[in-house]
Amino acid sequence: MHEHIKQRLDQIITNLTQLPSMPDIVSKVINMVNDPNVDFNSVAAEISKDQAITANILKLCNSAYFSKGKEIASLDRAIVTLGIKEIRDIIVVATTKQVLDKSVLGYDLAKGDLWKHNLAVAMLAKKIALDKKKKAAADVVFTGGIIHDVGKTVLALYVANTFKDILNYVIEKQVSFNEAEHEIMGYNHQEIGKKVLMKWKFPEVLQDVVEFHHNPSLAPEANREVVSIVHIANAICVMAGVGIGGDGLYQELSQYAIEKTGISESEIESYYAHVPELLNQMKNIL
Amino acid sequence: MSNELVNVGVAQVKLGTTNQILRTILGSCVGICIYDRQQKIGGLAHVLLPNAEAMDQEEKYAITAIPMLINLLLKQGCKKEFMTAKIAGGASMFKFKSDTPLGMIGERNIEMTRKILAEKQIPIVNEDVSGNVGRVIDFYLNDGHLKVKAAGVEQNFYKI
Repeated sequence: MHEHIKQRLDQIITNLTQLPSMPDIVSKVINMVNDPNVDFNSVAAEISKDQAITANILKLCNSAYFSKGKEIASLDRAIVTLGIKEIRDIIVVATTKQVLDKSVLGYDLAKGDLWKHNLAVAMLAKKIALDKKKKAAADVVFTGGIIHDVGKTVLALYVANTFKDILNYVIEKQVSFNEAEHEIMGYNHQEIGKKVLMKWKFPEVLQDVVEFHHNPSLAPEANREVVSIVHIANAICVMAGVGIGGDGLYQELSQYAIEKTGISESEIESYYAHVPELLNQMKNIL
Repeated sequence: MSNELVNVGVAQVKLGTTNQILRTILGSCVGICIYDRQQKIGGLAHVLLPNAEAMDQEEKYAITAIPMLINLLLKQGCKKEFMTAKIAGGASMFKFKSDTPLGMIGERNIEMTRKILAEKQIPIVNEDVSGNVGRVIDFYLNDGHLKVKAAGVEQNFYKI
């Protein structure tokens, strides 16, 4: 264990200012989707104040993945045409991009790699949930997929300095990379990521996705299915090498998640075989 | 002369020449790099799976992508007797059961790749396969060497 790194990370998560920020409006939008009393127009008005985010949202509304084929020129139109849940996902993509779309050196991820990985996991997780007719899960796994690795952006600097020790620990003790992160630095990227989401006031289910995406069986019962779906989507993308970094395939594919979601191994292989189509769909979201 | 970097995506087959570098990132997929030392032309196939019952796209599967790559090279005037192959990738998910087809995707890819190259009589001169690492590979077409970066360590394979 590198004590000084643990102490540094203790400071970072206590003194929240050093964790990445997110405009308040994002958590508001995520939380309000399930609240029938919320007036979405007032939120649209608030979002409109930020021209850069608005422009980005409109661009996404007209992308092949989100678009319903109709040209969308305003937020109000977007809400009517795409629906409130799609808009929420679009807002999450537009706002988290600035945090996630950068090089993450300690994990050996070039600029764009982590972002591509997150989008792929989000899209695949949503597809799996819809294919399996798990409608409630489909509502959250996209956002969950987008932010599941957010902790890596904070840990990267420290992983860069301890990478050899972490990897040696992995090989010596035969544990996964994220377990070794915890042993060597006192924290792993899931634990740090959860703190980031708490700062952003994102709902508990998303915090659970971040905290347990490598150990779905440990998540609170109510959210195990959601976490399991993101876990499987993540494993498939890693196997296909989408945004894979220095931590490589040193992570486990949970048997629990396979059983919990009822996805057969041959179905997983079929999703894996269709990763190229998934990446194609992603093109104009990147 | 500066080199031009060309990214080869999942399930793509690309050719290049002299000042180009073909790059791809591999998990359980296998990258097949074939080089004609006479023409100094090479190509890279990034395959996801060995084969499938319904093969929707030639580039995805070793059984079809490798012959496709060889044919593309032949069309460029390359000759089989001057071709050699290097292969990389085929990693597995850590501690996932290795007795099921899913757990064996990496190994199945490697096995099929070796089989097809043997059938086509293209010798494999270097390989860096299996394990649990992700790999970034750079295939330099000026001299056919392959640089493999895995878990922070770079290795170069020069044999052609």
